[in-house]
Amino acid sequence: MSTMNLIRLELKKIKRTGFLPAFLGGGILAAAVPAVNTAFRPELFAGLSAPPVSILLGANWQMMSMLNVLLIVAGACVLYHIEYADNAMRKMSTLPVRESSLFFGKAAVLILAGVLLLAIEAVSVFGCSIYWFSRAAAPSAGILKSFGFFLLMLIPAALLSLALASACRNLWTSLGIGVVCVFAATMIPAQRFALTLFPFAMPFQMPVNHTGDVIRNYAIAAAAETIVISLSEVIILKVRRIFA
Amino acid sequence: MSFLSLVKVEHQKVRRSKIFLILILAAVILWIPSVLNADLNFGMQAVGISPENSFFIQGFMAMAWFLFPAAMVVITVLQTQTERNDHGILKMLSLPVGTAKLCMAKFAVLVSFSAVQVLMSVGMYYISAAAASHTQGYAFCLPPLFVFKEACMMWASAIPMLAFFWLLAVCIRTPVFSIGIGLASIVPSVLMINTKVWFAYPMAYPFFVTASEYGKLAANLETAPVRLIPWLPAAALITAVCLIISCLCFGQAERR
Repeated sequence: MSTMNLIRLELKKIKRTGFLPAFLGGGILAAAVPAVNTAFRPELFAGLSAPPVSILLGANWQMMSMLNVLLIVAGACVLYHIEYADNAMRKMSTLPVRESSLFFGKAAVLILAGVLLLAIEAVSVFGCSIYWFSRAAAPSAGILKSFGFFLLMLIPAALLSLALASACRNLWTSLGIGVVCVFAATMIPAQRFALTLFPFAMPFQMPVNHTGDVIRNYAIAAAAETIVISLSEVIILKVRRIFA
Repeated sequence: MSFLSLVKVEHQKVRRSKIFLILILAAVILWIPSVLNADLNFGMQAVGISPENSFFIQGFMAMAWFLFPAAMVVITVLQTQTERNDHGILKMLSLPVGTAKLCMAKFAVLVSFSAVQVLMSVGMYYISAAAASHTQGYAFCLPPLFVFKEACMMWASAIPMLAFFWLLAVCIRTPVFSIGIGLASIVPSVLMINTKVWFAYPMAYPFFVTASEYGKLAANLETAPVRLIPWLPAAALITAVCLIISCLCFGQAERR
C-alpha cells in the first residue's frame, strides 16, 4: 500500500475516536493561555522592552508546551489503542502491510495533529502581539521561525510516545509511562544541555532563550533522535513479529 | 452483596494490571532529581527554609502539582478500560447489585490507590532522604509524624479532584476526551493557586495545600493560607455533585 493510502486509512480510522476534535479543543485551550494571561495583567507585559514574541512565549510557553506534550502523549496512546482494542491489530497484521508502515502512517497523523496544534497557537500569539504590542511591526517572521522550531522539537516526542504506545497492549500502561516521562522532563534542569535532549523535554525549549549555535544543536539533536527512534521502532517491530 | 465485598471484587479485577509498577516508577522518578540536586537545598537561606524541610517539600510540591493528579487520571483509565474490554461491564450490570453501589465501589478503589501512591512517595522519600544524607553528610530525614501529617493532608485534599476525574471517566466514553480533559485540567492549577477562586478548582487543591505548607516552613515566604471557609463547603459540594452525576451516568450507555 502506498504511503498516501496508509495515511488516508489512518485518518479514516480516527474519524469516530474524537481525535481531531480533541486536538482542536486542546489547541484552542493552549491558544487561550497567552490571550487570557495578557488580558488579565497587560500592565505587567506592556512595559517590557523585549520583542513581543519573546515576551509572550516567555510568559506562556511552559504551559502551552505542557498542554501540547500531554495531548501528543494521549493522542499517541489512543492511536494504538484503536488497534489493540477488540484485536484489530491481528487483522492488520494479516494484511500485506508492514507493521512499521502502520507505525509511520500513525506517526504522520500524529505529527499533522501537532502541526494543527502549533498553527492554532501561532495564530493566537500573532493576534496577541498585534493587539497588545502594536508598537512593533507585525512579527510574523519571528513567530514562523519559533513555531517551526517548536514543530521540530515536538517530532521526537511524538515518535517516542507512539513507540511506547505500540509496545504496550493496554491503554493505561502506555499512558502511565508517557505521563511519567513528561513529568521527568519537567524536572530536568535547564542548564544541563545533554539532559534537555530527552525527547519529552525538547518541546519545552524556547529559541528565544538560546543563541544560534544552541538552536542549531537542538535541531541536529531532534533530527538525530527522529532517525534513531524510527529505526529502533522498525527493528523492535520486526523482532516482536518473529517471536509473536 | 455488601459494599466491602464489592470493593474487594474491584480490587481483584485490577490486581494483575501492573498499575503498581507504574506507580512505583512514578514515585522513583519523583525523587531521583531531588537526590541528584540535594546540594541545592543548602542555598535556600533567602526564603528561610532549612535544607531538610526544603528537600521534603520541594519533592511533595512536584508531586502535588502534576505527577499525583496525572497518575490518578491513568488509574481511572485503567478502571474504565478493564470493564469495557470484552464487555465485562455487561456481566457486572446483570448482577443483583445497584449501579450506584458499583460506581461507588470503583471510586473507593480509586481513593485507595491514591493512598497507595502517596504512601509509596513517602517510602521513596525516606529512601532518597537517606541517600541524600549519605552523599551530602547532612541529616535530611524528617520525623515520620510530620511527614505523614503532610502526606495525609495532601491526600485528603485530593479527594474532590478524584471525584472530578471519576466523573470524567464515567461520563465521557471516548478515551481521548476523558484522558485529554483530565490531563489538560491539571495544567492550569499553577495559575489557579494564585487566584482568589482557587477553592472552585479541585485540581488545584493538593498543590495549594502543599504550597501553603511550604509558606509555613519558609520563614521569609508568604503563601496564601488554607482558609477552611469557603474551601470545605465548596470541596464537599464539588465532590457530592461529581459523585451523584457519575452514579447516575454509570452503565447508562450499556443499558440502552
